[in-house]
Amino acid sequence: MDELNIKELERIPIPEGLEERLSAKIDEWARPSKSPLKGDFKSSPFKGDRRGSWRALGLAASFILVCGIGLYLALSPSNKGSIDTYDDPEIACMEAQKALQLLATNLNKGMAQYEAVNVKGRQAEEILNKQLTKLK
Amino acid sequence: MRKIISRILTLALIMLLSSLTANAQVEEFEKYSDMKNVTYVYISKAMLTLAKGLTTPSVPGMDMKNAFGKLNAIQIITTENKAARTKLKAEVADVVKREKYEMLMQVDEDDSKVRIYFKDGKKQSVILMSTDESNETAVIAFSGTFKIEDVQKMTESSKF
Repeated sequence: MDELNIKELERIPIPEGLEERLSAKIDEWARPSKSPLKGDFKSSPFKGDRRGSWRALGLAASFILVCGIGLYLALSPSNKGSIDTYDDPEIACMEAQKALQLLATNLNKGMAQYEAVNVKGRQAEEILNKQLTKLK
Repeated sequence: MRKIISRILTLALIMLLSSLTANAQVEEFEKYSDMKNVTYVYISKAMLTLAKGLTTPSVPGMDMKNAFGKLNAIQIITTENKAARTKLKAEVADVVKREKYEMLMQVDEDDSKVRIYFKDGKKQSVILMSTDESNETAVIAFSGTFKIEDVQKMTESSKF
């Protein structure tokens, strides 16, 4: 019975170019798989894989978020040290200026001592040079 | 899904960045904020930005606006208490040694000892000044994005 059917089927004429058209269609279906980020998402045979990668990315993002919150809470000081002492910018400005002035004054105190030593050194050098020229 | 993930990622990045920039001060001195017999003053970057517009040239020749712009925080700790003074001095010595500060200046006079240290950090630099007088010890920490050249300019421009 089956043999008869096959023989009958073989007798049916195959339309011209059907084989080429079929291979072209298969190639077309296979094409989106080469670039999974582009192409028709719904018809892609790799739809499941892509969903998996998004899920993994989501998990990674959540992990980073949790780490971020943890680090934020750990590093951002919850104590009083980070709270501004003054609410008024004018008072804060005055205090900051006072602190900078004190720094500049102390730096200059040191520099003045250094310059005084330099002047004395130069004077000693001049005296020494004078004596040396006299000896010559 | 994609939107949710991108939102989570953005939020996570913001949290991470803010946690990294949260400490703009010398952490070791934070504990003095709630210590008895110690006066602790903290001026943040935000307050300095607000104060920038109010500055007057109180130090002759010094560009206060420029100095304020480069500062991230100022911490001022003062105490007259004997125990607190000893603790504060030890703390400064420890920080200087551990964080590898460079000594810029040491001025010893009859009634006062001044030490100025500098740490050139990649993210943040610190100028640490400690003054020890007969009845009081004070420490001022300037944290910011300045370089040693800026300190040099400070001495050159503010000569009286």
